[in-house]
Amino acid sequence: MVVEVIIDGGMLYGLIAVGAGLATGLAGIGAGVGEQGIGAAVVGVVAEEPGFLGKGLFLMLLPETLIIFGLAVSLILMFAWAPFA
Amino acid sequence: MPVLRLPKFGNPVKYAYITGRVRAKKTKLIPNDMYQRMLSMDISEITRYLEETQYKDEIDEMAKDFSGVDLVEYATFANLAKTYRNLLEVSIDEPKFLILEYLRRWDVWNIKTILRGKFHGSSDEEIMKYLVPAGELDLEFLDGLAKKDTVEEVIQAFDGTDYYVALTQYDGHMLSSVENALDKLYYFRMERAVGGTLSVGGGLLLKYIRKEIDIKNVITLFRMNKAGIDASIIQENLIEGGKLGGDLSRMAGQSYDEFVRGLEGYPFWSAISDVATEGDGISRIEARLKAYLVRYAWAISNYHPLSILPVLGYIVSKDTEVSNIRKIVRGKEADLPAELIEEQVVVA
Repeated sequence: MVVEVIIDGGMLYGLIAVGAGLATGLAGIGAGVGEQGIGAAVVGVVAEEPGFLGKGLFLMLLPETLIIFGLAVSLILMFAWAPFA
Repeated sequence: MPVLRLPKFGNPVKYAYITGRVRAKKTKLIPNDMYQRMLSMDISEITRYLEETQYKDEIDEMAKDFSGVDLVEYATFANLAKTYRNLLEVSIDEPKFLILEYLRRWDVWNIKTILRGKFHGSSDEEIMKYLVPAGELDLEFLDGLAKKDTVEEVIQAFDGTDYYVALTQYDGHMLSSVENALDKLYYFRMERAVGGTLSVGGGLLLKYIRKEIDIKNVITLFRMNKAGIDASIIQENLIEGGKLGGDLSRMAGQSYDEFVRGLEGYPFWSAISDVATEGDGISRIEARLKAYLVRYAWAISNYHPLSILPVLGYIVSKDTEVSNIRKIVRGKEADLPAELIEEQVVVA
C-alpha cells in the first residue's frame, strides 16, 4: 500500500512555524529548569551577603543564553526557510 | 541490607537555597590562623576581636551582665544556638527534617548539662547559662527542667518519651552510664528516623554519621586503652552503628602500641600518624581526629554540592569554632601554657 503525503506550501509553512515555536519554547523551559536552582542559591547567598547581588544576577542570567540559541533557530526557520516554503 | 536510593527530581533545588546560605556563612567563620594569634592575646583582646565578628550582637547584649571568660563563653553559646535555629528557620522539607535530626544532639547535650547541674547542686541560673537550645526542646521546657530540685525529678519529666528508657539507667551515684545511654539513643534514633526516608539526602547524612561514630569510638579506644581498662567495659562504651564497628570492638583492651599499630591503614591514620606513634597526649590526637572529621564533611560535600552535606559541614565547623574559642579563653583563665592550649585547638 502506498501512502501518498502531499505537503503543499501552506502545510510546510505551518510545520516550520510549529518548529520555530518549539525551538524557543523548549529552550525557555530548559533555561527555567536551570535557573530555579541558581536563583534559589543566589537568594540564599544574598540573604547573608547583600554585596553578592550583582555577581549573583550575572550567574542567574547565564542559562538565559540557551533561549538566545533557541530564538536564533526560530528566526532562521521563520525568515530564512519559511519564504521558500 | 543496602537500600536502593533513587534521586528525586526537584530535591537538589530544595537544597540550593540552604547550601547557598551556609556557604556564605562559612566565609564568616574565624580563619584557622586567627586561633594562633588568639593564643597570644589576653581575654579582653579576644573579646574585642570577637566583637568585630558574628558574635558582636551577643557580646553587646551580655556585656552588661557578664565580663571576662564568662562573657565570651555565654555569648558564644548564645550565638551557636541562634545560628542553628536560624538554619532550621530558613530550610524546608527534607533539609529541615535532616537538620533537626542532626541538631537533636543539642537536646542530648542540654539534658546531660541539666542532669550534671542537678547532680552537683548547681543553681538553675547557672545551669541555664550552659544550655544551647538548638534542638527540639525549647528554652521554656529546658527552663522548667532546670528549676526542678533533683535528678530524679528531671528524669521523671521525660516519662513517656524515648529519652526515659535511657534516663532510667541512673543508679543514683554515677551519671556516666546515663550519658552513654543518651549518646547511643541519639544515634539509634537518627538511624531509625533518617534510614526510613529512603532519600539521597538521608543516605548522605547517615554516611557522615557513621564516620562520626567511628571517630568517637576511636577517641574512646585511645583514652580507655591507654588507661588499661578491661575490654568488656570499653566495648560497653562504644557506640553502635559505625562502619568500622566490628574492627574497633576487637581493638578494645589491646595494649596502646598494639592498638596504634592496628589503626595503620585506616583513612584517618594519616591525620594522627605522627602524634599517635610518638605517644603524645590524647588531647592532641583527639583534636586531630576532630579536625579530620570537619575536613571529611567538607570533602564529601564537594561530591554532593546540593545536599545536606555542606549544611552538616557548616554545623560541624561552627561547633568546632565555638569549642576552640572556649578552650582558648578557659585555658587562659587557668594560666595554662600556650602549647597546652594549642594542642587542644581543632584546626581543620
